[in-house]
Amino acid sequence: MPKPNPDAFLPLKSNWFHILVCLVEGDQHGYGIMQDVLERSGGKVRLWPATLYGSLKRLIEKGLIAESGERPAPELDDARRRYYKLTPLGRQVLDLESQRLKDLVRVLDARRRQEARS
Amino acid sequence: MSTFVMGCGRAYRRIARAFPHQYRAICGDGLGQLGEDLVPRVWQQQGVVGLIRLFGDLALRLPCEHFSTWADRLREATMADDVFEGTWRARQSEPSLWKVDRPAPQQAYLRFEPTDTGYLMTAYGVVNGEACAERPQMIIADGRRRPLLDLSGRPIPGVPAGAMTFGSRPDPQTLELGSDVDGQVLVAGRYKVSADGKTLTVTNKGSGPKGGPFEVVMVLERVVPE
Repeated sequence: MPKPNPDAFLPLKSNWFHILVCLVEGDQHGYGIMQDVLERSGGKVRLWPATLYGSLKRLIEKGLIAESGERPAPELDDARRRYYKLTPLGRQVLDLESQRLKDLVRVLDARRRQEARS
Repeated sequence: MSTFVMGCGRAYRRIARAFPHQYRAICGDGLGQLGEDLVPRVWQQQGVVGLIRLFGDLALRLPCEHFSTWADRLREATMADDVFEGTWRARQSEPSLWKVDRPAPQQAYLRFEPTDTGYLMTAYGVVNGEACAERPQMIIADGRRRPLLDLSGRPIPGVPAGAMTFGSRPDPQTLELGSDVDGQVLVAGRYKVSADGKTLTVTNKGSGPKGGPFEVVMVLERVVPE
């Protein structure tokens, strides 16, 4: 199977970006991702369950995330939960997307500075 | 918890079961479970508006996911003439490569049966004078990655947790299949039908259950039904 080109995923869909950002810190289950996105965005972005799992399915199919085999101890967690983790490709895509967003902000800042000077 | 909220939770779980098999195979029971757990919280925090949003999300995604599944099937159905379908027998006259810590089979067969999404591939034969068969494998050559599970959607004994499988069809005569876990290739296979459609060359490489590398190359010929 040909190795996917990380650039081909850019610009990353907003939902995908939020999910990948959540998984940077470690493996997470569906509810955990939903809560994390909600908190991180100050309550502005809520991934409802069907949208969340639809995005997780597509991210798995594209190879950006994978189901994690590691789980917390059974007494600390619901055994039915599935955990997801970033794949090396997912990490690469996230880095590229972060760089793309940083570059955009840099361009915007430069234009504002130019405007202020003139 | 009120009967109304409990009823909404049960309804959510029921609707979640109407999602296509492909969706549920990847997400498991996560959608139904999460939705049911969320109903009381959403009701408490946002009332009727929250429930409308929760069910609205489900109602919007359901046709989208079915459409996506149908589109996948349509793509498979409109692929070029099927050259894989049927039974293939290993040629005894052709030299084959067998670098694997198991005895080579005296007879080996591969059967490809078309399904809604691709093929069901079954390998069987005779090893050490005894008939044997490998676990049937579902082949979906759409370039997507899926968890490596058995036909009932359960984990396969001996396969590491989190293993993923993928398949692609770079041209109508070739199938490329593989599986990996944490970026480490378990198996990478190539199935190529000759231009005249009479022979199939199978190349499988990877690491065995004990971590040792293996490589198998086999040439099979089509079994023409009498």
